[in-house]
Amino acid sequence: MHTLLEVIRRDALSAFKAWRLWTMLAWNDILLRYRRSILGPFWITLSMAAFIAVLGVIYSRIFNVDVATYLPFLTLGYVTWGFIAQTVNESCGAFQEGERIIKQLRLPYGLYVFRVVWRNFLIFLHTIVIFVPVALVFRVWPGAHGLLAVLGIILLLANLNGIAMVLAILAARFRDIAPIVVTVMQILLFATPIMWPVSSLGGAVWIAQINPFYHFIELIRAPLLGDAPPLLSWTVALGSLILGSVLSLLLLNRAAKRIVFWV
Amino acid sequence: MASIIVSDVSVDIPIYDVSSASLRKMVLSRAVGGRFAQAGSHVSVSALKNISFEARHGDRIALVGNNGSGKSTLLRVLSEVYPPTSGTVRVSGRVSPLFDATLGMSMDATGWDNIYMCGQLWGLTRGEIEAGIADIVAFTELGDYLSVPVRTYSTGMMLRLAFAIATLRAPDVMLIDEVIGVGDGRFFEKAFARLRGVVERSSILFVASHADDILRLLCNKAIWLENGSLMAYGDIKEVIAAYRGSRGSDDVRMHGADTNTVRPVVPA
Repeated sequence: MHTLLEVIRRDALSAFKAWRLWTMLAWNDILLRYRRSILGPFWITLSMAAFIAVLGVIYSRIFNVDVATYLPFLTLGYVTWGFIAQTVNESCGAFQEGERIIKQLRLPYGLYVFRVVWRNFLIFLHTIVIFVPVALVFRVWPGAHGLLAVLGIILLLANLNGIAMVLAILAARFRDIAPIVVTVMQILLFATPIMWPVSSLGGAVWIAQINPFYHFIELIRAPLLGDAPPLLSWTVALGSLILGSVLSLLLLNRAAKRIVFWV
Repeated sequence: MASIIVSDVSVDIPIYDVSSASLRKMVLSRAVGGRFAQAGSHVSVSALKNISFEARHGDRIALVGNNGSGKSTLLRVLSEVYPPTSGTVRVSGRVSPLFDATLGMSMDATGWDNIYMCGQLWGLTRGEIEAGIADIVAFTELGDYLSVPVRTYSTGMMLRLAFAIATLRAPDVMLIDEVIGVGDGRFFEKAFARLRGVVERSSILFVASHADDILRLLCNKAIWLENGSLMAYGDIKEVIAAYRGSRGSDDVRMHGADTNTVRPVVPA
């Protein structure tokens, strides 16, 4: 317990306090990626929108569901998944990405992880706008429940910080972690109820329920579609937040002195 | 008042080649009951061995020694980037490491943007950066170039900008690793003058360099490192004389062939 508090004070809080720095680095990463492009990060918005439109029309027929129900569902699930998957994948390189800084300045390690999460959150804000026209066309009105999505997004952000820290540390030490993570996330795209409704699992609904990513998505998707997310999803998200935070802090405490030699 | 106490510090730097950094080795060593444990345990280089010294306000210390003698490692220990494997380092005062002047520079951002971005990375507040703008503009002589992306700059222009930002604030402890030996003669003169200004305002200075002339102008003490061990610490003239003396006839080759050797024109 004592070590935990010490790591929180030394690394987590001081990293958080340097928010100007990681928000600046994150924004600069996005600018760099889309330099001299007219649409900039809206390219991701455009390509996601095209993907959702095509998939939405075809899959609604395959699953035999009304396109007016399916498309808003797919939009929210896929956009949220894009945020989760990209963050998780990129977190594996968080420390390698900051190598030059790490080798010169003693800054809290959380900073590099926050940078990755924030960068992808900014991209998420660019892509979630796809939902606005979809909601207007198909007359989806979240109502008061929609506010719960804000809480869902905060919980997701908090969860991603823990997951990203654990992966950043492990992947800096073991270079095989990154490709493993990419593979797992690829499989999870199809194994998580994103492109298919959870009801189509029938009796095997546990397949979705043991998957924390399903619950993260559900906490954002359900309220924006006008439903209250199930209690189970809140419980899982809170539980994984506590577990992930403790694990990441303990791991950071163990690794902090060696990360500089790993990058 | 800044002070540094280094006592009995050793640093072992683990070397991870591709295979020892991979999971396979670790999984294998578990699976076969530790038969490959040797392969799983990594090789390490002992970069510093039992170093002890103290530095006080007003000490301007030159670090001399051959390539691989531990100069850069010592600077990284003092900047708290490398944790010592054993021993303790006590540094009081604000430390500013200047190893890589172009750190944080973004090629696609304008000069102005880079001033703010790099400034923040160096730990300056927006207020401090704004207060220093005039100084940076005067030193870099970049004028309108500050409004275009750094990508279009020549190496010298980029270096001037990076150097101006990195030296904007005088820290208590300043650590410099071979940054001034680049650029043309005129840049060197200006950089050197600026560095002297910064050095005079900071409390303790460490400079690692192969250019004895620069070291003599900036420093009053010297540390001689050899294979990670401290050979001598004291007055700069005596230490450099001992260091050069130990090299004997190697001296000629050292100045000629060593690519790390920098011999800039020193202003009169």
